[in-house]
Amino acid sequence: MTEPTHAPLHTVARGRARWHRVLVRPVLQRRARVAPAAQAIAFVIGIVLALIAGALLLWGSGNDPVTVYQRMAESSLGGFDALSRTLLRATPLAIAGLAVAVAGSMGLWNIGAEGQMMAGATAAAGFAMVAGDLPGPVLIVLMLVAGAVGGVVLVLGPALARAYLGVSEIITTLMLVEVAIRIVEWLKVGPWKDPESFGFAQISPLPDKASLPGLFGQVHIGVLFAVALLLAFWLAVSRTAWGYELRMAGSSPATARYAGISLQRKVLTALLLSGGLAGLAGAIELSGTATRLEPGLSSGYGFAGIIVAALALMRPSGVAVVAVVFGAVLRGGQSIQTLGVTSSIATILQAMILIGALVAAVLLNYRVRWVRPVGSGADGDAAENPASAGASGV
Amino acid sequence: MSEPGDAAVSSGSGDGRVVVDLRGIRKEFPGVVACDGANLTVRAGTIHALLGENGAGKTSLVNVLSGVYLPDDGEIWVHGRQRQFHSPADAIAAGIGMVHQEFRLVPTLTVFENVVLGSAPRYLDMGQIIERVAHLAATYSLQTDPARPVWQLSVGERQRVEILKALWRDADVLVLDEPTAVLTPAEAADLGLTLRSMADRGRSVIYISHKLDEVLSVCDEATVLRNGVTVAQPRSLAGIDRSDLAEMMVGETATEIQRPTDQPSGDVVLDLEGISALSDRGLPALHSVDIDVRAGEIVGVAGVSGNGQRELAEAIAGLRPTTAGTMQLAEVDITGTSPRARSRAGLAYVPEDRLGVGLAPTMSVVDNAVVRSYRSMRRRMMLDLRRCEDFCKRLVERFGVQVGRLHEPISALSGGNLQRLLLGRELTGEPKVLVAAQPTRGLDVAGIAAIQSQIVAQRAAGVGVLLISEDLDELLALSDRLIVMYEGQVAARMDPTQVSRADVGAAMAGTASA
Repeated sequence: MTEPTHAPLHTVARGRARWHRVLVRPVLQRRARVAPAAQAIAFVIGIVLALIAGALLLWGSGNDPVTVYQRMAESSLGGFDALSRTLLRATPLAIAGLAVAVAGSMGLWNIGAEGQMMAGATAAAGFAMVAGDLPGPVLIVLMLVAGAVGGVVLVLGPALARAYLGVSEIITTLMLVEVAIRIVEWLKVGPWKDPESFGFAQISPLPDKASLPGLFGQVHIGVLFAVALLLAFWLAVSRTAWGYELRMAGSSPATARYAGISLQRKVLTALLLSGGLAGLAGAIELSGTATRLEPGLSSGYGFAGIIVAALALMRPSGVAVVAVVFGAVLRGGQSIQTLGVTSSIATILQAMILIGALVAAVLLNYRVRWVRPVGSGADGDAAENPASAGASGV
Repeated sequence: MSEPGDAAVSSGSGDGRVVVDLRGIRKEFPGVVACDGANLTVRAGTIHALLGENGAGKTSLVNVLSGVYLPDDGEIWVHGRQRQFHSPADAIAAGIGMVHQEFRLVPTLTVFENVVLGSAPRYLDMGQIIERVAHLAATYSLQTDPARPVWQLSVGERQRVEILKALWRDADVLVLDEPTAVLTPAEAADLGLTLRSMADRGRSVIYISHKLDEVLSVCDEATVLRNGVTVAQPRSLAGIDRSDLAEMMVGETATEIQRPTDQPSGDVVLDLEGISALSDRGLPALHSVDIDVRAGEIVGVAGVSGNGQRELAEAIAGLRPTTAGTMQLAEVDITGTSPRARSRAGLAYVPEDRLGVGLAPTMSVVDNAVVRSYRSMRRRMMLDLRRCEDFCKRLVERFGVQVGRLHEPISALSGGNLQRLLLGRELTGEPKVLVAAQPTRGLDVAGIAAIQSQIVAQRAAGVGVLLISEDLDELLALSDRLIVMYEGQVAARMDPTQVSRADVGAAMAGTASA
């Protein structure tokens, strides 16, 4: 009886494991819990480390890091006008981030907020075309309602499929992003094409009265909606029975079932609410900053909302902070291009800052333990007990 | 009786070489100690049964051996050398192969692709690999077609692929976690032959199972775990029968339990008639079970785990649909109603999984305290947080729960305190019926005493209690009547004052006398 031999494989496998027995090596261990203050500190440390790495990048590409960072800070946070430009970008980020966080608090990933923003903007623009005779304030309010409905409509299919058939919402919502954008492209060259734009295909502009009133500087009153929505969601989650059920269903589905909470209904409401918020973000972006509906209107805010929600650990308070930081990074990244920093370097810099924050937020869940190899010390006792050393602050 | 596993000190017989020796393994999880000084000694060329009730620490122990968990304490010796496994890859490299209950196969790939995935030899063509896999399969009579995609295979065939995977990686110790739970009897018999042929070629098998018959027919040696500790290591299973094994598994507990004083029982408060239900796998798990519980009495349910107790508890709680039969709670028909409706009708339920089902681990103590009552804490749309907190404080005080901060995640509490809170919460609604599944499992002595005295107090207060437990002493001491479950049926009804542990053990093993 011959055993099949595969000696090479064997030695490779054993050889790979050998260094474990020789070196003292760090092992990441999950922390039982993370102090809220540590989250803020980790966030800042992550960004600072990224800025240091970014300085090397800038220096290597022939720019002066000090000047560039100065300009970034000034243009995004230095003064009233700069701040208003940051908040202008933070507004859609906050609402889209909240949309993702609503689903996220139930353990669901609404990856398609971008598409729902487009659907919301489309519904709002369509409403403005049909009901252009209404007085300005009424028109705006109804446009926002139409926007939310548009977002809900786009997410309805994925939400039903997830709640009743268990189909992954990640894939379905993502695929509908393309659908939403293509529909706007079709409207642009087809039924909604502006007859006065001659050969150039674009959608008719919105009437002036459909624009959200400004607040200060560049900011429109959409920022107030964002704040109100964040507050409302925070209250709903932490202070209502509905929010209690949502938290229970999200954190421990079996316990929720035990308590008599319908998981399907909770999945459905969380996703529909998420889609509605994203649609509202789209309508606010349309009415606040754009003159007309365009396929590129949401310009990635919906996808950025995923990053915002993840960094904020799905918490409304976190969404507010992260959205402003993200808005400042976007604004700063744009402004340094006037210093001669190429747009690709600026984009890399933006990405590095966000990755720094994201990595810090993830690593915060772990601490480092140094594990000594078995049998290396003279006494077996020390070998078996991994010495814990230097839990890092990040 | 821990045997040193050094090659030098191996036991007398020629092929009795110790391959795996786990010594004093301890593994603690938040709120529960899974292993607390467990030993396991496996010899070359043997099939070694690892026995124990649910939660006895079997799966944790083999997960330590297969590199999934790093033990908190204890030593792992393989082939006479001390090892430390930081990942399953380390364990595989040391020759430990694991077949999990949930298979880890890629359905779209073929059998041989799954087998060699991650460790394919670099310089062979497909034909040669297929040939080798087929040869390996033939050697151990593992009937499979290497070229078929895995999604087309039956559960039994998939298990064979998992075994092939381990053999391909040259595992000389194969660990199988409840391998026959998913198999038909014929497939289970084939598996037995395969394992025997592996043992005959000098490999070792660690075989986790609840099915005592199977263990007796397949295995050579056994290790019995109870509450994370090794309690018996019979070197031979000859002369041992099922009831011996059942008794080793349930064991004797050190706690002194006072038998509650006799009292007349009242009306029937829980009445199950012909209840049937399916298991998670969709197989029949309960066959027309009739149980009635009267006010002021404790009805104990005994049985080796996996004989329908879990399904019974869940069916009563409304968490598992019944396929036949009716259920009445205090003369109200609750068949097919929601968990919430049953709770409102007067049912208190302490589930087997206290953390994860009964309590939400990441939510706060307060949030968990109001699971049953949050709807009555509403003030208009808002939840009255002050009232929730007050409710929680009273609960904590009344049931002696030791807590840190009330807004901390509940998983920070110890097992005993978790159970005090859970039981207390269920009892505050003044229930008519209490269903408690494994309420004292894994608790320390003080915790066990506190929970048991609560249960006895409920009986005195006129609550009908259905106590599902794997602790025979607890059942014999507390129950007014005792029911033994076997293969989803009521195998015996006993008077706990009139029977011995051996009688109950026999009924649990399916050789009912009563």
